[in-house]
Amino acid sequence: MTQQLSLYEPKISEVLKNVNKVMVGKEEVTLLSMVALLAKGHVLLEDVPGVGKTMMVRTIAKSLDCEFKRIQFTPDLLPSDVTGVSIYNPKEMEFQFRPGPILGNVVLADEINRTSPKTQSALLEGMEESSITVEGSPVPLKEPFFVMATQNPIEYEGTYPLPEAQLDRFLLKLNMGYPTVQQEREMLSRTSGDHPLTMVEAVLTRDELIDIQNKVKDVYVDDTIRSYIVELVTATREHEGVYLGVSPRGSIALMKAAKAYAYIQDRDYVIPDDVKYLARFVMPHRIILTSESKFEGFTPEGITDTILENISIPVQRTKHE
Amino acid sequence: MTLSRSQQQYYYQLVLYLCGFLLFWEWMRPLEKVTDTHNLTIFVIYAAFCFFISFLQVNWWFSMPIKFLGLVFILDGLFLYEGLFSKEWFIIVYQQFAYNFEVILAQSWGEMTGFFRSFLFLVLLWLMSYLLYFWFVVAKRIFLFVLMTFIVITVMDTFTEYNGQWAIVRTFLIALVALGVSSFFKEMEKEQITLLGMNRLRRWVIPMTGLILLSTVVGYAVPKPGPQWADPVPYLESAVGGSGGTGVGGKGIQKIGYGEDDSELGGAFIQDETPVFQAAAKQERYWRVETKNFYTGKGWENTLEEDIRQVNGGDLGIRTFTDEVETEEQFTIVNFTNEAALKKMVYPYGADKVIAYAEGFQFYVNQPKGEVETRLNGNAEQIPGYRMRIDVPSYEYDQLREAGEEDPEEIRTTYLQLPDNLPNRVRNLSRQIIKDEDNRYDAVKAIEDYFSSSGFEYNTKDVAVPGENDDYVDQFLFETQKGYCDNFSTSMVVMLRSVGIPARWVKGFTGGELQQSDAELDDGESYNLYQVTNGNAHSWVEVHFPGIGWVPFEPTKGFSNPTDFYVDTEESGNSTEEEDSEDIPAPEVGNPQQQMEIEENFNEGKSGAGTARNGGNFWKYALIALAVAGMAIALYITRFRWMSAYMRRKYKHMGDAETYQKAYQYLLKVLAHKGMKRRSDQTLREYARDVDMRLQMNDMKILTYHYERILYRNEQQSNQWDKVTELWENLINRALS
Repeated sequence: MTQQLSLYEPKISEVLKNVNKVMVGKEEVTLLSMVALLAKGHVLLEDVPGVGKTMMVRTIAKSLDCEFKRIQFTPDLLPSDVTGVSIYNPKEMEFQFRPGPILGNVVLADEINRTSPKTQSALLEGMEESSITVEGSPVPLKEPFFVMATQNPIEYEGTYPLPEAQLDRFLLKLNMGYPTVQQEREMLSRTSGDHPLTMVEAVLTRDELIDIQNKVKDVYVDDTIRSYIVELVTATREHEGVYLGVSPRGSIALMKAAKAYAYIQDRDYVIPDDVKYLARFVMPHRIILTSESKFEGFTPEGITDTILENISIPVQRTKHE
Repeated sequence: MTLSRSQQQYYYQLVLYLCGFLLFWEWMRPLEKVTDTHNLTIFVIYAAFCFFISFLQVNWWFSMPIKFLGLVFILDGLFLYEGLFSKEWFIIVYQQFAYNFEVILAQSWGEMTGFFRSFLFLVLLWLMSYLLYFWFVVAKRIFLFVLMTFIVITVMDTFTEYNGQWAIVRTFLIALVALGVSSFFKEMEKEQITLLGMNRLRRWVIPMTGLILLSTVVGYAVPKPGPQWADPVPYLESAVGGSGGTGVGGKGIQKIGYGEDDSELGGAFIQDETPVFQAAAKQERYWRVETKNFYTGKGWENTLEEDIRQVNGGDLGIRTFTDEVETEEQFTIVNFTNEAALKKMVYPYGADKVIAYAEGFQFYVNQPKGEVETRLNGNAEQIPGYRMRIDVPSYEYDQLREAGEEDPEEIRTTYLQLPDNLPNRVRNLSRQIIKDEDNRYDAVKAIEDYFSSSGFEYNTKDVAVPGENDDYVDQFLFETQKGYCDNFSTSMVVMLRSVGIPARWVKGFTGGELQQSDAELDDGESYNLYQVTNGNAHSWVEVHFPGIGWVPFEPTKGFSNPTDFYVDTEESGNSTEEEDSEDIPAPEVGNPQQQMEIEENFNEGKSGAGTARNGGNFWKYALIALAVAGMAIALYITRFRWMSAYMRRKYKHMGDAETYQKAYQYLLKVLAHKGMKRRSDQTLREYARDVDMRLQMNDMKILTYHYERILYRNEQQSNQWDKVTELWENLINRALS
């Protein structure tokens, strides 16, 4: 694992430790979630129910001293259930805005593909614009704002899959995966006592988090790295099995994620390792395959791996620089 | 029969090791021929014994004493007569060792006793058994030893009298078996297969045996082209040894034949039996072509004024003797072969008139040289043949003895010439030889006889070329004493001149091989038919006798003078000497092949000399090219070593990012050369991790960390780079070690 190479930034390290007190064997997902959080992006978790998604998000929220909100998406959920509604208060004799769950800091959007596109778009708007529109007027979202959406890959009945073009609103797409036998055993022993979540305390204030988010922006990305990112992204567009490659938004996302990842590793510059590592989480969900290549068994993940193998790492400064 | 894996391993090692022993045996075989080693069988047996003990893989405390005991028994049996392990025995052994250690300390290697040399040789065999066990069984590296065996055999065959013909065949067989077995088992190990059961093993062993036998038989049976290069030994010897170390002559192997350029004599030659002409004559004759007068110290040149005149009516006017000499009229017929390109006449002594010859040819006589050129329409052409009248001279002994010393002035000035730097010992030797003779003929005979008596050797292969400061004659007379007709005839002329007897050097052909006797030809006469080849090219000596003319002499060992000498019984009836024997040409003692003269291709005239000598130059250039190529290869193989030394100095202080980058890139190259190549999709960190794992260190990570900062962070300066330089050096050294 790349993480072993260097120490983490001390504060982030605290958070990770905190989360790992609760979660067993989810270090990578936690780390990547932190990447998305610091890069001001959002995460799409595609996994079966019951592997600890909610628990993880809650732990993160709690360690960050953030407000945690959860939306369970159902087919009959309305946009206002997400954004909130104005309710008439007879005492005050006026409409009062009751904020919806999206107005939290860390939002878990569970089974996002089970609700109607209308409701989905309410969430997606918030993710993209950092504000929502309630009854015609914009309402700014809280900072920090971090959405972790989950989608269930095995149930197709009664689902409204997210339009592929919309998927790139998510910075990273992760898989949780089942724990190993050992991890699961460890998990059982942890749940026997108090709920582990109660032991978690905030290790980072909200202001500190915002401060870190701003610092991430200042991480240095060299030209060589930028070229490398562009080469990777361009390669997805030129691949013959790809119908739609990674968009320019994708390359920005990759760079932002790489910056956050570098920061987490207490480094103020991005190295190709960051890009190479994150490409596997940033790129696949932005790639749409042609139907032929789908039939031939290609997957976006496989194509990403091939591209990573074929594009050479920049190890030398070119002359004009 | 089923073999377990370990049993199989055992048999395989046995076969391999046996092959190793057999190959090693091939190394020992030439020793008996090449060195003064005796009792080779005992040494072979001891080697086998050592090999066997090594193979058993017993503990060293068992094998060492056993081998040592074997060694002691052999030494005892060969050299020591005292009772084994008796007191005297130990004393003698002690004395032997003490003496030989002294000899070694004094570095007089030649003084070592046979006992000690045998001891050292046995120890060597002992060590070899270990070494080969390691190579063949442990490391399974066979090819190197096989290659070395081939090289040793070929070198032995080329440079010594050892004949490696069968050794090569044997080595080939053994090597193929060894390589086959080893590759088979390596394959099995790699693929983790076990071929249990003889049946399956057979499936593999039979094709291999078949292939090996087939390739051996085919290799043995197919026609093989002759050597592409002449035997290098005579060349190397003549180039290095013959010149007394004063410089390497440019001459190499030459081809025998009649040639024009005699200015640089010496060097070996190879035989050429191309026929030049057929001659019909009553008796065997020497065939004269030309003479040369000027000895340069290295060879012969002609300095006489060219006096070429066309002769009409076939009267050649090239008699070498006066009317005082008895003659007998005879006829002779010469027919040149198609290969001949002499463009000159060959004629016996006494040639008088060309009677019949091919239409249109003219004869141009160069009187001073005695050379007759044949021309057609003004151009030198090879005449197909001719019939000529000869007045065969016979010289009377007493006439020769009484001829006196009064040579005409022009003879004295031309034919007493000698180079100024002719070493005095030549003159002294000549004086010494003739000091008891009171007339010219006997003096000449004494010098002629000197060559047949004084340890001279007729040799065409091992012939020296005089170095820059050597005199050709001096070298032959006092240093080498090996040579062919040029050496003998030139030496005799020079010796004669050094004591004031006018003499000249004659070139031509010997009588050739008798093909048919008493054949009756068209003219009704009966002749003997001779075939004369390039191999019959020859040189001899003519001595001037006042009032008589030029008389041929033959100093070359193994050749006899076909000229008639007789004793006039009427005039000197009291002569008791029966020297008549010399009238009759003695049967050729020398093999006709032993006759020679430096050749060049007749067609090419002087320019041919170049080609003939290229043989020698080729070897020289080949050696130089080989050396240069070897150095280039060595430089290339070790390029990272010497380049690193250079780079180390260059990057001693990685003051700026630019230098650091170059140094780092160079390091990547070195690592790639050492088998740790970075894949293009590997990031530097991933690569550094691999490298550190391979080299068991942590330096590459640190070095890479700093490089990353330069490359990806655009850092220009760092105060840690001094440390980094050290790491870089460490890494390079580690990688190259």
